[in-house]
Amino acid sequence: MSDSEKWAWWTLGVVALTIAAYGAFLAFLGHGPATPSVFALLALAALPTSSRRHFTGRTHDERERVIANKAFRAGFTVFWLAFIGLIVAIDFIKGWTTTLTVPVWALSETLWWAASLILGVQALTTIVLYRKGSHA
Amino acid sequence: MPSPEPEIKNHIRRLRFEHGEMTQDQLAKQAGVTRHTIMALEAGKYFPSLLLAFRIARVFGAPVEQVFEYHATELNL
Repeated sequence: MSDSEKWAWWTLGVVALTIAAYGAFLAFLGHGPATPSVFALLALAALPTSSRRHFTGRTHDERERVIANKAFRAGFTVFWLAFIGLIVAIDFIKGWTTTLTVPVWALSETLWWAASLILGVQALTTIVLYRKGSHA
Repeated sequence: MPSPEPEIKNHIRRLRFEHGEMTQDQLAKQAGVTRHTIMALEAGKYFPSLLLAFRIARVFGAPVEQVFEYHATELNL
């Protein structure tokens, strides 16, 4: 398994763990200022999952770069669609001239969800492209 | 529905064995890529860049068209 695949599986696991922890927080504490704290788990995605290749030589070649680029584009595209969908939904549901008062924790939670979405889709796309093949 | 044939076929596996049973790792090192990429190439899961195609052909001391074969289809001419 290549370093990129290891990263993808690890990241997918971290995102799944974060979502599960979020669900547990919701069940026990309810939706409130404490719930976004579970997103600190996303920091685990930064842990290195690479093998000795990082220390001994080549880590990325052209195929891995192609897959990484496609995965990043997929993650950003899904985020962008979700972002536009959310904005349009708020406009239509709340009205164009309504003033919204949003607590900071709700805003930060939205940003955390966006980060989780990008990471999750990026990891999933990476795994699929390694399995199914990625033609340049 | 059967998947369509790949447009680019290669003879890397055969050429490796004809060159003293060269391992995927040895070829990868000489071509400057990872072994996973050689595996993906042999499995037809990845079409290499022109640069990599030339590098692999050079390792085998063969012209690139002896290593890679292009199959034109009705959709892809």
